[in-house]
Amino acid sequence: MSGVNLSGIVKAYGALQVVHGIDLTVAEKEFVVLVGPSGCGKSTTLRMIAGLEEITDGDLTIHDRRVNRVAPKDRDVAMVFQNYALYPHLNVADNMAFGLRIRKMPKAEIKTTIADVAEILGLTPYLDRRPADLSGGQRQRVAMGRAIVRHPKVFLFDEPLSNLDAKLRTQMRAEIKRLHNRLGVTSVYVTHDQVEAMTLADRIVVMNDGRIEQVGTPMELFNNPANTFVAGFLGSPPMNQMKGMLTETGAKIGDAEIKINGAVAGHAGRDVIVGIRPEHVTLSDEGQSSALPISLDLVEPLGSEALLHARHGEDTLVFKADTNGDIAHLSGVGAVHVPSHLVKLFDAETGRALNLGT
Amino acid sequence: MVDENTNAGGQPLEEALIKAREAQRRVTDGRWVRLFDHFKREWQIYAMLLPTIIWFVVFLYKPMYGLQIAFKDYSIFRGVADSPWIGWEHFQTLFANDQFIRAVRNTITISFYNLLFGFPAPIILALMFNEVMHATYKRTAQTIVYLPHFISSVIIAGIVITAFSPTAGIINTFIGWLGFDPVYFLTQPQWFRPIFVGTGIWQEAGFGSIVFLAAIAGVNPSLYESAVVDGANRWQMMWKITIPSILPTILIMLIIRIGNVMEVSFELVILLYQPSTYETADVVNTWIYRQGLQSGQYDLAAAAGLFNAVVAFVLVMTANTLSRRFSRTSLW
Amino acid sequence: MMNWNLYSRGDKFFAMVVSVLIGMFTVATLYPFIYIAAVSFSSGFAAQAGKVVLTPIDATLEAYGYIITDPKFWISYRNTFIYTIGGTIMSLIFIVPCAYALSRPQLKGRRFFNLFIAFTMWFNAGLIPFFLNMRDLGLLDSMFGIILGFAVNAFNIILLRNFFESIPQSFEEAARMDGANDFQVLWKVFIPLSKPAIATITLFLIVARWNGFFWAMVLLQSEDKIPLQVFLRHTISNLSDDDEFAIVQTAAGFSAETVTAAIIVCSIIPVLIVYPFVQKYFEKGILLGGVKE
Repeated sequence: MSGVNLSGIVKAYGALQVVHGIDLTVAEKEFVVLVGPSGCGKSTTLRMIAGLEEITDGDLTIHDRRVNRVAPKDRDVAMVFQNYALYPHLNVADNMAFGLRIRKMPKAEIKTTIADVAEILGLTPYLDRRPADLSGGQRQRVAMGRAIVRHPKVFLFDEPLSNLDAKLRTQMRAEIKRLHNRLGVTSVYVTHDQVEAMTLADRIVVMNDGRIEQVGTPMELFNNPANTFVAGFLGSPPMNQMKGMLTETGAKIGDAEIKINGAVAGHAGRDVIVGIRPEHVTLSDEGQSSALPISLDLVEPLGSEALLHARHGEDTLVFKADTNGDIAHLSGVGAVHVPSHLVKLFDAETGRALNLGT
Repeated sequence: MVDENTNAGGQPLEEALIKAREAQRRVTDGRWVRLFDHFKREWQIYAMLLPTIIWFVVFLYKPMYGLQIAFKDYSIFRGVADSPWIGWEHFQTLFANDQFIRAVRNTITISFYNLLFGFPAPIILALMFNEVMHATYKRTAQTIVYLPHFISSVIIAGIVITAFSPTAGIINTFIGWLGFDPVYFLTQPQWFRPIFVGTGIWQEAGFGSIVFLAAIAGVNPSLYESAVVDGANRWQMMWKITIPSILPTILIMLIIRIGNVMEVSFELVILLYQPSTYETADVVNTWIYRQGLQSGQYDLAAAAGLFNAVVAFVLVMTANTLSRRFSRTSLW
Repeated sequence: MMNWNLYSRGDKFFAMVVSVLIGMFTVATLYPFIYIAAVSFSSGFAAQAGKVVLTPIDATLEAYGYIITDPKFWISYRNTFIYTIGGTIMSLIFIVPCAYALSRPQLKGRRFFNLFIAFTMWFNAGLIPFFLNMRDLGLLDSMFGIILGFAVNAFNIILLRNFFESIPQSFEEAARMDGANDFQVLWKVFIPLSKPAIATITLFLIVARWNGFFWAMVLLQSEDKIPLQVFLRHTISNLSDDDEFAIVQTAAGFSAETVTAAIIVCSIIPVLIVYPFVQKYFEKGILLGGVKE
């Protein structure tokens, strides 16, 4: 049984199509994160699952029941909104009880449910407060509490952390993860923040322009991005992408040539985009790697490591280096090394990952 | 293993698939099915709307149907629909009627005076309130000057009649102190307009200042701060910052006023005028009231009403179009 | 606002002058009320002779004694309460759900309905067709006719609709996902969230009803149905040329002026009592209706 299944989901506003046929299966108890730049259709997709947007075409099933035309309230899903949508005229307990009262749950049962959930979320001392008297993190918890009390089949999160400051966001992120581990409810989570996606997701769905670019576990996507878009979206800083041309043994970038593992032979002369993760660049020759001459632009110390901005011909290259407590030694860097087995290749025209076989 | 097929790009195959699904959907979820679905799901909002729509039809749109008596020889016994058509006869009668022409002229004249004296008053008041520093003093003054807006025309008229009475009124008491003879203000045509317009200012200037005070409150405070740094005084700030900043609001309010030229508050006119002041006081709506409701010439009065409504409509529409130019949103 | 201590001497002088001018305008606004109150407590003779300026002359309650013994005064007072309370409730029953419906993006024909309602602000058939329509509906001389016939106006609907539209969509969506239908969304979410706007509209409605005069005068004939404003009007226009009254008043201590003033005072007092409580609302409220499509 699948938790949520989307097949060929299309959303159009009149003639304008914003989601172009999405196929996705979310397993039961799975935590799936939809990530992508703003306007990529991720929120629209989530809202279609919620029932807040009509589905133009395709089939949506929740626990194997087709729900395309089922009202939101009958889909057995709960949603955490970006702005929390807490009712300002109700206190925390009443906010959480709102849905239960509408569903005519017996009073005693409501009381125990609220008490339980408040306990889980650490909201017990605040049950009598109005949302206006709560901190951002507490409001966020109430918003989740309101979803949890209903014991829905699916949790939907619409950028729930984007209104929090950076520190609180990290904290709440961990809390959401713990909560999911504890409750084990199928969750679909929308964010534009790739770090949130990486840390929370069992599987990430990268979306762009109303289409799915790639689906996979965080590490799959990080290690093997399907195209330059995914490569550029995940990782911080993102993968460096430089224009190059394949040779018999590697790729030529500007004047330099780097070695690449795998069967590049026979593809010589093909235009490619060479992808190099900032973490993979080293300052010294390690194993099978090749040197790339650079001119250093800027050194940004981050503490234990530093971010180096450099140029190689017309391309820019950002990479990380250990500081060992000092950045003075970094200012003289004139060349970097790229391990041959970690270089990614993409087709220069389509941007798709090239798999030339190992 | 990642290869090229993982990516779901806009391939021709996929476009074809979407088209095929679209075709299938038309069969299963046809337009009528969807419409039926919509009403089944959303019937409640239509239920909420319906009573008011019916109200509008019964009380405001049905009278528009009744306007046809402006072109008919209306008889109470025959009713609106069965009275015979007579074309433009009523309008010919109207424009040959000196009293009606006078009423049109009075309406425009009184509106013009209202505009000339009544329009700047709330702006000046708002600018002045903005300069008052003592918070409680300002609050109290505002509370008092807003008050007359909430007083009915009958009471306003009652106060005016009492205050301007030739024997008992306070105004003539003052005039007596100055050694002059009492003036019969409410029976002399030349006094009607000043009294009417003055009463309007007394009643509405305070309340009208709210809009402008809000506009002033919306001015970016850093403008004043930088003006202070540049050494400007309050008078200069008022002219160089406040007034230019609220100019859009002033323009829009002015346009609204011009759009409402035909809307002289005839309720107050009815309460204040008398046959001896008709000459300057009688406006279109009071004329309609006398002709139609008092003398029973419904059809002729309806024609005058139609004329008034059409002119007002054109003015309001023009005003709305104009205001679109001055602000991104329209008035309605 | 800037700190007074930062003002230059010229600025301080300017502020003082403005404060004095404001004070004068305020006094001018207030004075007619004081004058009328003074007249109402004066003797008929003093009032007729124009002796009253600021305080009652030959203070007496005769004028009040005259009106409170007039049963027509109490009937009209009662009627005004009926029209005000009944009319306001009737209006809210129409306006609130309608404004909610018009604020919903999923309403089909929303543009049309908005235009349908707004059009009546720009064009109305006028006095005569409205009157004839009321007559055809059998609502002449009917208290219910007054309450129903003036229950709705486009301005209030648009004002409230604008407010509803400004409520973030997620409130409705959250309530919907919680299982609420439209009536529940309106009743449990939108109305509590819109208290200031609804209070403002209620205030406008109450004031309009309390002050309503023209149509009550035109449509109502029975003396036991007329509201206070019409009664006041009758009193003002009748007293002075009523011979019988002239004979009565010479014997008693009141005159047409003092009786008129006393009725005015009685009619203003409820407004004055309520006014301070609602003042905070209408300043915001008048701007709500402002400029928006």
